[in-house]
Amino acid sequence: MTDNPNAASVIQLGGRPPIWRNAAVLKWTVQFAVLIAVLGVFWFLIAEARTNLSAKGIPVGYDWLDDPANFQLAEGIQTVDSPERRLTMSRALWVGMVNTLRIAALGIIFATIIGVIVGISRLSKNYVARRFSSVYVETLRNIPVLVQIILWLAILGSLGKLTADTGPIPGWIIISQKGISLPRVFLADGFYQFVSLLIVLSIGIRFISRSWRRRQEREGGDQRVGLKTFGLFVVAVVVSWIANPVMGFLGPIFDAISDGWGAIPQGLMQTLLSVVAIGAAVAWIKRFLNSRRTPAGMAKLIDDDWFRMVFAGVASLIGVWVLWRGWPGLSSWMVNSGSDFWGVLGDKFGDGRGAMPFDAMRPTLSEGRFVNYGDTGLTLTVFYAALFLGLVFYTSSFIAEIVRGGILAVPAGQSEAAAALGLNRSQALRKVVLPQAFRVIMPPLGNQYLNITKNTSLGIAVGFSEIVQVGQTVYNKNSQTLAVFSIYMIFYLACSLTISLVVNSVNRRLAIVER
Amino acid sequence: MSIADQALTDDLAARRDMIVCRGVKKWFGDFQALRGVDVTVKDREVMVVLGPSGSGKSTLIRCINRLEVHQEGDIVVDGVELTNDTRNIEKIRSEVGMVFQQFNLFPHLTVLDNITLAPIWVRKKAKAEAERTAMELLERVGIPEQAAKFPGQLSGGQQQRVAIARSLAMEPKIMLFDEPTSALDPEMIAEVLDVMKDLARGGMTMMVVTHEMGFAREVADRLVFMESGDVVEVGTPEHFFTNPKEERTKLFLSQIL
Amino acid sequence: MSEITAPIETRPEEPSHTAGRWIRDNLFSSVSNTIQTVVFSAIVLGLLRWILGQVFSEDADWSSVATNLRLLMSYNYPTEQFVRIWVAAAAIFLMLGLSLGAWGIDPGFSVRRSARTLISTGVFALVVRLLLPSSTPDAIAMAMIVIGVVAIVIGGVVMRAVPKSSDRRVSFTAALGVMVGLVLAVVWLVPFGSYGVAEGERYAVPGVTVASSTKVPWTIVLLLVFFAQILGRRLGVSVGSVIRRSIVAFWVIGPAFIIFLVLRDPSFDWAHVWSTDVPMAAAFALGGGALLYALGRPGRDDLARVVGALLLALALFHWVAAFFGWYPMLQKARISFLLIALAVLLVPTFAGERSARVRFAGAWVGFMVVLHWLITGINTPSTLEISAPPFLGGLVLTVGIAYYVMLVSFPLGVLLSLARTSKMPIFRVMSTTYIEVIRGVPLITVLFFFSIMLPLFLPRGMGISDLAAVFAGYTVFSAAYMAENIRGGLQSVRRGQYEAADALGLTTVQRTTLIVLPQALRVSIPNLVGQAIATFKETSLIAIVGGFDLLRIANSTIPNQPDFLGQKRPGLLFISLVYFVVAYTMSKSSQRLEARLQAGQAR
Repeated sequence: MTDNPNAASVIQLGGRPPIWRNAAVLKWTVQFAVLIAVLGVFWFLIAEARTNLSAKGIPVGYDWLDDPANFQLAEGIQTVDSPERRLTMSRALWVGMVNTLRIAALGIIFATIIGVIVGISRLSKNYVARRFSSVYVETLRNIPVLVQIILWLAILGSLGKLTADTGPIPGWIIISQKGISLPRVFLADGFYQFVSLLIVLSIGIRFISRSWRRRQEREGGDQRVGLKTFGLFVVAVVVSWIANPVMGFLGPIFDAISDGWGAIPQGLMQTLLSVVAIGAAVAWIKRFLNSRRTPAGMAKLIDDDWFRMVFAGVASLIGVWVLWRGWPGLSSWMVNSGSDFWGVLGDKFGDGRGAMPFDAMRPTLSEGRFVNYGDTGLTLTVFYAALFLGLVFYTSSFIAEIVRGGILAVPAGQSEAAAALGLNRSQALRKVVLPQAFRVIMPPLGNQYLNITKNTSLGIAVGFSEIVQVGQTVYNKNSQTLAVFSIYMIFYLACSLTISLVVNSVNRRLAIVER
Repeated sequence: MSIADQALTDDLAARRDMIVCRGVKKWFGDFQALRGVDVTVKDREVMVVLGPSGSGKSTLIRCINRLEVHQEGDIVVDGVELTNDTRNIEKIRSEVGMVFQQFNLFPHLTVLDNITLAPIWVRKKAKAEAERTAMELLERVGIPEQAAKFPGQLSGGQQQRVAIARSLAMEPKIMLFDEPTSALDPEMIAEVLDVMKDLARGGMTMMVVTHEMGFAREVADRLVFMESGDVVEVGTPEHFFTNPKEERTKLFLSQIL
Repeated sequence: MSEITAPIETRPEEPSHTAGRWIRDNLFSSVSNTIQTVVFSAIVLGLLRWILGQVFSEDADWSSVATNLRLLMSYNYPTEQFVRIWVAAAAIFLMLGLSLGAWGIDPGFSVRRSARTLISTGVFALVVRLLLPSSTPDAIAMAMIVIGVVAIVIGGVVMRAVPKSSDRRVSFTAALGVMVGLVLAVVWLVPFGSYGVAEGERYAVPGVTVASSTKVPWTIVLLLVFFAQILGRRLGVSVGSVIRRSIVAFWVIGPAFIIFLVLRDPSFDWAHVWSTDVPMAAAFALGGGALLYALGRPGRDDLARVVGALLLALALFHWVAAFFGWYPMLQKARISFLLIALAVLLVPTFAGERSARVRFAGAWVGFMVVLHWLITGINTPSTLEISAPPFLGGLVLTVGIAYYVMLVSFPLGVLLSLARTSKMPIFRVMSTTYIEVIRGVPLITVLFFFSIMLPLFLPRGMGISDLAAVFAGYTVFSAAYMAENIRGGLQSVRRGQYEAADALGLTTVQRTTLIVLPQALRVSIPNLVGQAIATFKETSLIAIVGGFDLLRIANSTIPNQPDFLGQKRPGLLFISLVYFVVAYTMSKSSQRLEARLQAGQAR
């Protein structure tokens, strides 16, 4: 090597680059600079908002939630203030949330049904069906949903007036300026006992059915396991229907849990939650480090790994700070609402409950208004109906497209292969095509469900008392815009999180395992 | 003396070191891909890297222009050490050309634009000059008539020749080839290998990962055999194909030949 | 010659379908098919009857729409200044025609297919005639019969004259010509009646053709589209890339010029313009250009980065100073400082050889001139005398907001999606949080937040107009969705592309702008068009937060006019039609574009 003049002299190993040319340093400097700038802008804006608010004499915080609402709601589980049931601000917002969830849930069901029918008809061999479905889809999805909702309101508003005044009204479906009224099946006193008894019986049935299935697998042939299980289930339903008061003993147990829960001191709750937060972070970091462990010892951690661990730690510390300093009320709220929850459950099983789990009635008029919610028929107010019809028809057109796309996305080779194996058309559809189509359909379908939930907020344009409309009424009364907006955000984020969790878990079950 | 310096002929030993790897280690998560590799490539040398799949050949040459970041050891390219220094990285990348197994031509640009892109934006050449050079290179790889087409309109062999021309347009001192013929149909392999042989004859420093034994025997100055992240044996083609020392090398060669 | 001399078989003519055969195959081939036919026919006829009942019901006064057409299109824009609207429309339609031609968009129509469509339209018209409610005016009932018969006869004649074997495609130019001719004929010949407002009085003259103040400009505009299309086709062939680039530049800045300088008609204070605005623009344009030219020389990379960093610090300091009110400075100076800093930081990446530097500096000069002109125009009071404050409303507002939301949120979306897919964890976390939070909440809450909360967040002394706040809300919302659409495209770019760019020595910025984004955006085009349609529909929410868009005018302005109290349905049905036509056209052309792009991938 000595006769090589260039080799050693040029190379200087181990020299650290100057920091302004060090790729790793640059990468982190830029990130932190931008992070600090963004946080700075936020800090500045919030400081401005605080000064502006206090200049107007508006306190910042959530104390107003317990104030009386001083307004009426158009519809919902509670519409007016009464001595036995106060309508506080928080209660009013809760009513709005329930209205939102109700119309969203109902909308999701109906939009799915219509969407699937229309989507499949678009692939029909029948000319009229095909043509109708494509016109349906193209028309409805190209007109803004808000315009559709308002158009429905205008159309419903031009319906005939109701002449009757009080009492049950004849007929099954009454469509008038007051809305659409239908007979309704509702949950009666015995419902909770009924359900709990049914659950207990179902667990037993599950065991029996499993042993049948094992025998079927052992001995082969067709022993009609599904049919027999179903028969057993029907018997269980009948038994629960008749014998449901048996479960009344659960009432006192729930009451006791409620009392016990309510006795938890706030400090204990805070400590417990802090332990959970820190424990979760520690567990996560442990798992992460384990995943980096190799047979040859610990793998080198790169900067990204460090960032993740620091991030997890900081997040848990922020959580602890919120529990103790940021929002101590959270813990006592959790104590109270937990106790309330068990208390309500205890009430449902309380003594003197009737035996009927379900009941049904036709709509009733009282002083020219339909009595809604409770033990009567159901009336969709025109606002509700307009929002509902607009959302359902608009969204069903998108769902139809998703269904059609999902079916078309299954390669023709799949049904050809199924046919080649000797499966008949319906078997091929059920066992081969639909499971694959479902996998394609599921994620965008979840997106549409999310869209329905978010679009219920358009109820504000027709005066339907959903969360955004109620919230607007609240902040028009007390100017607590910042707080109300934070409630909007948490509520909708919770909804989207729930929907995406459900969709993801379904998806994971359906996922085809690939390398 | 490390294995890297074994079997250096006197002629090679006297030349400048173009690529020096010393104790290079690299992990992917918990998988160790390189376990301390020592290799030296001399000026105007053609080094062929052999080994079964998963042995770390590609990882090694991808570390040399920092497509992968090695975690321990040193890599020095033409006297410049690969560190976090952005200037060193820029310098090495603009001096080391690379040809990929999957060609990686830019599908949204014409063949001519593919070749002139880096000279214009990295070397800051005038467009007319860059295009003149590009046409010369296309002549050299034998497809000047395809200049205005898009990569998707060419055959695999033609695409790979464009990819070679694209690397050459940066006037690199070193060329790295990562299994350049593996994605090609058999009848197209020859046209690519011919271009590479031409380059070798022209005195380009080359490091080639390939399974083409004919090419290795004919063109390589030295061969490196790697297995599970280690360099097992280094030697001249003669030594390799007639009298390999290590059992593992023998086994591999008997399977592949 | 005992070899195979099989005669060349001609493929047998496919038997042409008779009407009866078609009906049997498509409607009654099986029991379930027959059931479907019956059920769906009942639904179709019932729905059609119901819709016609809504349209021609006795209490629907369609003159409310006819009289208020101007209001629906451009809200309270003063009548005497209407020539500005026509100039704007002419400019936009001219560029539309040029674009159609320059990109060689040529759907082409099969003659036989068009004839078939004509026949089914005719049948549809006759069915409609049968289902019309009794309150329908006789003229409309008569028109349906005439349209139906004429369409069927023409379609049938064409089908006879052009047999299947000699079917041809009509060129787009010819089809456009026919369409323009048809529209003009209808406008000039059919007695729609002349409705409107003159000197505050509503008037209605039934039985005449549309007022010439409407039909003459429309004639000019439509003819412009037709001839511009032909011209664009010619230019697209001869000077393709130049004309296409100019058209793109027009679509980016043109509408802003039209809205703020043509429609808004600012009354420039020329003394101030010459003493302050022009020198300032010149200083930034020329000084900046010279700086960029000098720093772009190869080998001055480090110098450029240092100067850029200093300028950035100076620019940021100006903004902080503005918030604390330390010293007065025109907003556009602050913006310009920020922009020049960014440009200097980018110069090492994109400049270099002389012609590249000239181009870079030239782009800067042009950009500065346009920007300063626009900002000066926006800051100058308008000369328009408008009875109710917002000078824009109706369809113009709807389209304008949708257009600019897309345009402004596009770069934001690109940045967000790049951050979300980058290797930098803090950027990833920030961008993901932003996108998921915005996508998790409804648009209306974002709009409320911006229209109510934004004024609270601003420092005292700074204000923002209602419409600007709403616009900001739309942009923030749309950027999150845009980011997700573009992320889909980014993920479709294969890793090898990044590696090849790195191996060639491109910097990260170069790799992103030259290699990754062009491919990613191309893949995302269909999704982006989908988002454009969604944004267009979402502009209807302006009605809730206080702007006078189509929906607000139809739903509350018209029904409050004394002549048309409570007349909501005609207006709402009309704007539904407007939304439908625009959105449907967009989605159809996007499908065509998608097919074309897919065909392009295959080559």
